[in-house]
Amino acid sequence: MNQWLMAGLLFTPLAWAALSLLLDFRQGRWLSWLGMLIQALVSLGLWVAVASNGGFYYALAGWEAPLGIALRVDGLAVTFVLLTAAVATACGLHAGVYLDPSKSWQRYFWPLFWFLWAGLNGVWLGADLFNLYVSLELISLSAVGLVALGGEAAALRAALRYLFAVLLGSLVYLLGVALLYGQFGTLSLTGIAAVVGADEPAAAMALLLMLAGLALKTALFPLHGWLPPAHGVAKSPVSALLSGLVVKASFYIAARLWLELGDRLGSHTLAQGIGALGAGAVIWGSWLAFRQPHLKQVVAYSSVAQIGYLFLLFPLTFAVAEPVSRLAQQGITLQVVSHALAKSAMFLAAGNLILSVRSKRVDALGGVSHYLPFSLFSFGLAGVSLMSLPPTGGFAAKWLLLQASLASGQWWWVVVLLLGGVLAAAYVFRIYRATFLEDRASDDFYHPPRSLEAIPMLLALLALGLGLVAEPVLSVLALPFEVAAEVAADVAVQP
Amino acid sequence: MRRRLLLFLTLAACAGFTVALAAAVLHAAGAALPSALPEQLAASLGSSGVEHPVTAVLLNFRNYDTLLEIGVLVIAGMVGISLASTSSLEDPALRSSDSLLYALQRWFVPLMLLLALYLLWAGADRPGGAFQAGAVLAATGVLMRLGGLPMEFVRPGVLLRLGLVLGFAVFLLVAVAGALAGEAFLAYPPGMAGGLILTIEIVLTLSIGMILLALFVAAPVSDEHEPEEGAGP
Repeated sequence: MNQWLMAGLLFTPLAWAALSLLLDFRQGRWLSWLGMLIQALVSLGLWVAVASNGGFYYALAGWEAPLGIALRVDGLAVTFVLLTAAVATACGLHAGVYLDPSKSWQRYFWPLFWFLWAGLNGVWLGADLFNLYVSLELISLSAVGLVALGGEAAALRAALRYLFAVLLGSLVYLLGVALLYGQFGTLSLTGIAAVVGADEPAAAMALLLMLAGLALKTALFPLHGWLPPAHGVAKSPVSALLSGLVVKASFYIAARLWLELGDRLGSHTLAQGIGALGAGAVIWGSWLAFRQPHLKQVVAYSSVAQIGYLFLLFPLTFAVAEPVSRLAQQGITLQVVSHALAKSAMFLAAGNLILSVRSKRVDALGGVSHYLPFSLFSFGLAGVSLMSLPPTGGFAAKWLLLQASLASGQWWWVVVLLLGGVLAAAYVFRIYRATFLEDRASDDFYHPPRSLEAIPMLLALLALGLGLVAEPVLSVLALPFEVAAEVAADVAVQP
Repeated sequence: MRRRLLLFLTLAACAGFTVALAAAVLHAAGAALPSALPEQLAASLGSSGVEHPVTAVLLNFRNYDTLLEIGVLVIAGMVGISLASTSSLEDPALRSSDSLLYALQRWFVPLMLLLALYLLWAGADRPGGAFQAGAVLAATGVLMRLGGLPMEFVRPGVLLRLGLVLGFAVFLLVAVAGALAGEAFLAYPPGMAGGLILTIEIVLTLSIGMILLALFVAAPVSDEHEPEEGAGP
């Protein structure tokens, strides 16, 4: 059964990418609807399989690691596979209506979309450092292509900056991989974690390089300069994909590296330093979001701020008691999931608002609350999750992180968590204020189709409801990993 | 003064990074753990279907990486031809009709095609393979293009897109056929590895050549743009 699920999960996005390249946009849309259905079913099936039997390693091409590539299917990975299925399906459905099929370049949207999905699944399941690099490349290049698709000079410029940033990040990551391979002779993360010792300056340097490259790709403050132009200029469904899923992929790898190797290769200074950069991102990103004149730039800078919270994982899991570390990991996972849902809802809703007032400026939104209350409401619901008010997923995440900070005696992160929520409220309410001002001379609004309005609402409701179902979601993460012992024995055979 | 200080600081940072990296490489080399990988590779090479270890790693042991890398190439080719604003060589005024160039091409093109074929075949037991052969194939195309030979098939149409994706699609079909036959995804059925790898290499050569060539020539001329969101009707 697992055999079939894994083949379906890996094969469908790649096959759909190849097929949709031969079709035009409308035919590709039909095909993609079918593909999304298959992906959703397979992801659910895999989730059920892991929930009932525990996680497992899947050796591709029948060759076990370290000679071949193994995929690690555990609770965290299937949670993210399922999250990707939800967010990507929503963005794909939205894009099918939102994008203009008469433009010849839009036919390339579906192949790029499916390659992106394939890369994301590759990252969630990856357990091999070089394979993770290839999956990241797949994600980066298709994301750059989606930003640039048929765009004018501004889009091309943003896409090129984006390309340079992610390529530099990838290469720095690859340098770290090469160092680790040189020393340990294996690319399997589990294999390296089994043999690495505490006093390994070269391996510590490799970890530092990999984290730096991944931080650039995740747009951690102060390396965030490429994100707002790229996410702001892309079409709304693309922005939603980029902010919701793409930046999470590089963070996911950084987190996996840290949790496997950080206890021996990391240091107190490094952990606190990364945490401080995250805190800087929360404050500075929120402040910039508050100041932006364009609606989508507000949402993009809000992503910079929300990404900052994720990096609190590093100080909150370094040299702390096991239960505290688990609290922090659960909090960060919830934050990733709730931000992915809320931010994609926000970008899609922002796209509807822009479509309606035909201007991307915040001060052009006056009066839109009359005409597009539904989209505005979705935007607000997503905003509530970003502000982390109960009962949203954002609240549950912050609550866990607060507990972890206090339990580990790092009270200073509490200040960041609280201040970040207040600042998020400030930039969301600024948008709301603009929509209620009745200073617009004309009442020339375009009403987007109902389906465009329904999709962000669904996503926002999911983000809102996540807080209520946090416990079952978190219980999947803690699922047992069946063959962990077996592989550890495998690795131990090597000297 | 400030610019020179900035330059100096940048250079110092680069030098510091280089020294740190060199120290790390030296340390890693000194502390390298004995790895079981070479023995495992030697032991499994016999059943991989090819004799050259690099080809065996690329197209059998770690063929998932290669499959995804081909995907990356397809993306690059696709994005290249989707960027509508790039000017191309389609302009007839740019077309050369140099008789010397034609004469030279008559010598070069068959030779280069032969070289591509050799590189493809050599991959089984010595350095070579689809990537190298595809690069030579693309270079042949570039030469023909620069010499002014019309190449209808690289116009953006269904034929070009089919060419871009052919290698990837065949690779993927083999991958899923393995899964359908009850093996793992991407596994070759026993005894068929050699033939399948050769088939994959042949179609990959064509597609890689096509992608690289498309990036060079196939950008269509168009002044149309996607209007930015909110820029008005």
